[in-house]
Amino acid sequence: MTAAGTLEVAPPVLDVRGLTARYGHVEALRGVNLTAGRGELVAVLGPNGAGKSTLLRAIMGLIPNQGEVRFLDKSLPRRDPAGAANKGVVLVPEGRGIFGPMTVLENLELGAFAIGRDKAEIERRLNRVFELFPRVKERLKQVAGSMSGGEQQMVAVGRAMMSDPKVLLLDEPSLGLAPRVTGEILDTLGALSASGLPVVLVEQKAPLALKLACRAYLLSLGRIVATINPREVKSHDELAQYYFA
Amino acid sequence: MDLNLVLQSLISGISIGCVYGLIGIGFCVIYNASGIVNFAQGAFVMIGGMATYVLMTDYNLPYAVAAICAILLAGLVGAVVERLVVRPLWDRNAAMFVMILATLAAQIVIERLAYILVDDQPKTLPPFTDIAPIRLGGIAVNYQSLWIVGCSVLIILALNSFFRSTRTGKAMRAVSINAEAAALQGIPVSRMLTLAFVLSAMLGAVAGILLTPTQYTAFNMGVPFAISGFIAAIIGGFGKPLGAFIGGIALGVIQSMAILGLGAGFKNVAALSLLLLFLFFRPSGLLGSTR
Repeated sequence: MTAAGTLEVAPPVLDVRGLTARYGHVEALRGVNLTAGRGELVAVLGPNGAGKSTLLRAIMGLIPNQGEVRFLDKSLPRRDPAGAANKGVVLVPEGRGIFGPMTVLENLELGAFAIGRDKAEIERRLNRVFELFPRVKERLKQVAGSMSGGEQQMVAVGRAMMSDPKVLLLDEPSLGLAPRVTGEILDTLGALSASGLPVVLVEQKAPLALKLACRAYLLSLGRIVATINPREVKSHDELAQYYFA
Repeated sequence: MDLNLVLQSLISGISIGCVYGLIGIGFCVIYNASGIVNFAQGAFVMIGGMATYVLMTDYNLPYAVAAICAILLAGLVGAVVERLVVRPLWDRNAAMFVMILATLAAQIVIERLAYILVDDQPKTLPPFTDIAPIRLGGIAVNYQSLWIVGCSVLIILALNSFFRSTRTGKAMRAVSINAEAAALQGIPVSRMLTLAFVLSAMLGAVAGILLTPTQYTAFNMGVPFAISGFIAAIIGGFGKPLGAFIGGIALGVIQSMAILGLGAGFKNVAALSLLLLFLFFRPSGLLGSTR
C-alpha cells in the first residue's frame, strides 16, 4: 500500500538505498529505501521489532549492513559512526545515550567534539541550544544523570545540535516521557525541520509523529510496507488500516 | 611493639603503596576505555626501570633524560601492544577473556625480549637525591620515598586535570561511560583506546622508575607488581583511578604491617587475603567499580 504518488518529495540530503542488515541469521532490514530532504521531517513508524531502531543504527554504521547510504550525493562509509557524525549525520539514540556522570555542559561540549577548540563557535552553538531549550541553560553544572527523563532528552537533542547536523536522526525521543514534555520536544523538532534541517524520526506514537511529518514510512518485519502521506490519514482507524494491511 | 618501627613501616608502606596505586591507575585507564583488564601492565613497569638503566649505562644519558626516554619508549610499546595485539581482536569482536589472555601473552613476549636484549641480571638505579635520610626522632625518611609520594600525588592531580579539563580527557571519559554514544558524537573511539594504552604504559613506566632505586628491576619483575597494581585497583573499585591510588596505599601499608608483625613471608599472604576479603565482602571496592 503506497500513497507516495500524492507526496511532494524534496531533493534528498539523505538517501538510503536498499539497506539490509542482519543479526546473526535473522534479516532485520530488507532492502529499505528512504529519503529525507531539506526541510522535511520524515517519520518511520511500525510495531515493536519492525526494524526501526535497526534502520537508524545501520544508517549510522553501528551495525554491519549492505546497500548504500548516500549523504549529499556521496556514499557514507559502511562502519564508521564517528565519521558519519563528523560529516553531519547525527543520531539521538534510543535511551538518549547521555553521559550520566558528566555535567550538562560537558555533554553539550562533547557534541561539538569535531570542531576542536574553536571557543567562539562552541559558544554560538551553545546559545542556539539555549534558544531551543532554555531549561538546559539553567542546569549546565548539573550532573546529567541526575536530571529528569525529559530534561535528559533535551540535553540529548541539544548535544546533537551542538555538532551542527546536516541530518538529524532520532530514535523514539518520546520514550518514557510525560505527554507535556514529549509535546515540547516534538514541537522543537518541528521547528528545526521548518528551519530547513532534514529530520528522520523513529516513533512508536504514530499519531504524534504524523502531526509533524511530511511523509511517513511504515516498516514491518524489516521492510517498508507503505509510504504514507500524513494529510491523507484522517483517523486512527485509517492509520490502523496501514498497520494491518 | 616499638612505635618507631610501626611508623617506619607505615612510611615504607605508603611509599610502595603509591607505586602500586600508579600501576593500578594504569589498569583503570585501559579498563575504562575498553573493558579490558590489561595484564601486560607489569611489562611497562619493567620497561621503565630497565630502559632507564640501559640508557644511562650503555648510552651515558643523564638520569632525567634517560627516564623521560624510557617513559616515551613505554608509551610507544603500549601503542604497539594496542595496535598489534588488542585492536585486531577488538575489531573481530573477540570475547573479552580472549583479549585479556592476549595481553598476558604480550607481557610474556615483552619480558622475553628484555631478557634477550639486555640480560637476566637484576639492576638498580641510584636514588634521585643521594643524601642521608631525614631523621624525625627515631624514624628515617629517605628522599626516594618522598620522591615517590610527591611524584604520585602530582601525577594524580595532573591526571585529574587531564580528565576534567581537556577536550581529549573528556572524550576519554565519555568513551568509558558509553563508547557507542561517544562514537555518535564523532569521537574517534579507537584512537581513544590507543591513547589509553599509551597513557597507562607511561604510568607503569613512571612507577617502575620511581621504585627501582628502592628495590631492583629485572626482565621478570613486572608480574608481581602488576598483580599488586591489580589488587590495588580491585580494593579501590575497578575503574576508579582515585580508588586504585587509595587501594594501592592500603595494600602497601597492610603488606608492611604484615612484614613487621608476622615476617616477610606473610607479605603476599596479607596482600592476597586482602584481595579475597574484598572479593567476598565488597567486590565493588572502596569507591564502587565503574561497571
